[in-house]
Amino acid sequence: MTLQTNQGDPDAASALYTEDATGLRSEEMILNMGPQHPSTHGVLRLVLTLDGETVMQCTPVMGYLHRGMEKTFENRPYMAGPRYIDNADYLSPMINEVCYAGAVEQIMGVEPPPRAQYIRVIVQELERIASHLVAVGTYGLDLGAFTPVLWAFRDREVILDLFEALSGHRFTHNYMRVGGVLYDLPKGWIQQCEQWATRFVDKNLPELEGLLTGNEIFVSRTRGVGYIDPQQALAYALTGPMTRASGVNFDVRVQRPYGAYREIAVRPQLQTGGDCFARYRVRMDEMVESVRLIREALDKLPSGPISNRSPIALRPPRGETYYSVETGRGEESIYMISDGSEYPYRAKLRAPSFVNLQILPELLRGNKIGDVIAILGSIDIVLGDVDR
Amino acid sequence: MDLTPRNGDSVSLVAFDREHINQLLTSLAEVDTLVGQPVPKTRMGGGAVGIEVAPERLVEVARVLRDSLGFEMLTCVSGVDFVDHIQSVYHFRSLASNWLLQVRVRLSADQPEVDSLIGLYPSANWLEREQYDMVGIIYKGHPDLRRILLDDDFQGFPMRRNFRATPITLHDRATTQVDAERAISGEQQRNQERIVSKHLGQGDEERIHPGKPTFGSAAVYLETGQGLLPGDMQGDVETEHGYEVNTDNPTPTRKS
Repeated sequence: MTLQTNQGDPDAASALYTEDATGLRSEEMILNMGPQHPSTHGVLRLVLTLDGETVMQCTPVMGYLHRGMEKTFENRPYMAGPRYIDNADYLSPMINEVCYAGAVEQIMGVEPPPRAQYIRVIVQELERIASHLVAVGTYGLDLGAFTPVLWAFRDREVILDLFEALSGHRFTHNYMRVGGVLYDLPKGWIQQCEQWATRFVDKNLPELEGLLTGNEIFVSRTRGVGYIDPQQALAYALTGPMTRASGVNFDVRVQRPYGAYREIAVRPQLQTGGDCFARYRVRMDEMVESVRLIREALDKLPSGPISNRSPIALRPPRGETYYSVETGRGEESIYMISDGSEYPYRAKLRAPSFVNLQILPELLRGNKIGDVIAILGSIDIVLGDVDR
Repeated sequence: MDLTPRNGDSVSLVAFDREHINQLLTSLAEVDTLVGQPVPKTRMGGGAVGIEVAPERLVEVARVLRDSLGFEMLTCVSGVDFVDHIQSVYHFRSLASNWLLQVRVRLSADQPEVDSLIGLYPSANWLEREQYDMVGIIYKGHPDLRRILLDDDFQGFPMRRNFRATPITLHDRATTQVDAERAISGEQQRNQERIVSKHLGQGDEERIHPGKPTFGSAAVYLETGQGLLPGDMQGDVETEHGYEVNTDNPTPTRKS
């Protein structure tokens, strides 16, 4: 049986068929997966062209959650930006806010006080754990293991409670300000955080890991599935666990450290498998690493002010900048242009989920339909980030 | 628009090694020889370097960047509308040398066309499609240049500066209060006026039909007992949500 595919042309529709030795052709079938499908983690639609159970072609259709975020930035003052960018990647709003505030700070040439930078690192690492817990938990749910998601959300709730004590909100925190953070750590917060970190890394995370890594079905459905080789990862500009699972050492915190990451060294968690299981492993290892970073930042936490004095009507000087942070999904960047007014002239958001999703048609081609969910779940997209 | 910073060079948050950046600037001499003249180079905040190339040389320059200078990743493509011209801005990353390069291409505002980079970087596929969708830059040679985030039948490009989120003129729409044929012909304007004044002229006690759009003017009438007489409020036009609403006519009128 020869399989004819259009390799050079990733998305374009073309005739796809299989032909056996006698010249018999089998017709393909079009299957719509989504936009209302539990395992697409949002409103993503995949138009799958199937030959029997084999995926011949996949065309993702997105934009159902498009809210015109970049246009909104242009029409709101700089100080209002962090509130709006919360909703871009709604599983890691704190890191989004750091991205926006950091971009404005870089244009202005100011730097937040050391205590604010350390608080930023602590909340970013907490947010990374919360985001990875959702990724790993729902990945188990997609593949038929129900308990991991409940156990993962058990720890995520504690993180959200910590954020609520800190900022007043569980999801859309609006906590970062240009030149610092909004509130100092409340009384008893550090002890609560340390207690949770000990319980998480000593007890809860090994339990969660035992449920998934020790689950034979989970391992056999992820190992060797959806292989990405390092060259492919670079060509498709993948970032985050997607690329680190293929052995490419790229992490914005390591390559271009920002904020207090210049003083707290991050050990990148690498895997060489390149398959879905390796991506799952990277996420599990990064959670342990994040706990280590939180502890180190809490130990080193300096005293002093938490914010610079900056005017409400912020007018950064004219200029442009490209500021990157590392979210749980990869490099999130803002290309921001200031024309000297109170409103950004242009704020282009480089969303990690959007770029990572691009390799999906390439990964799915030739796989069985059962693996579609395993591969899609391992990319760990957030549709708010894809559609913006 | 001139974007050169007025107060000197903006300070970089990350104190990148000056040698490291100089090394990149030296390596970019290869681009200079390819283009035939020195390309404008700027140091940006965060240890990035920006260059500007002509649109017709973009693909050649990108090939040199990828093959000779080791920029493996095309991270980001942005389109910016500067009213008098449009820019397509590319961000390249080199992991081996830890460099970040911004390449800027200046396009005409009437016909923003530039060659696609999809042959060199597969990641350009969706990145360029998104900028076509938002800014309307035509990437020549792109195999699948269609809208990606917006509807296929969407009109206009939202990230252009002249884009209006709400339409200035309203098209007539069918309502439940007049029959559909007259509603779309625009005849309901006069007709509706009569209905409203008759309806509200019967006293304060009478309640307005819940299905009737009031836009606040009927509430004023019920409170004061004034206004809403035909011809009384001819020039009184207030703006609500960007539409011009004639206060004695509950339906937004088409602006001629």
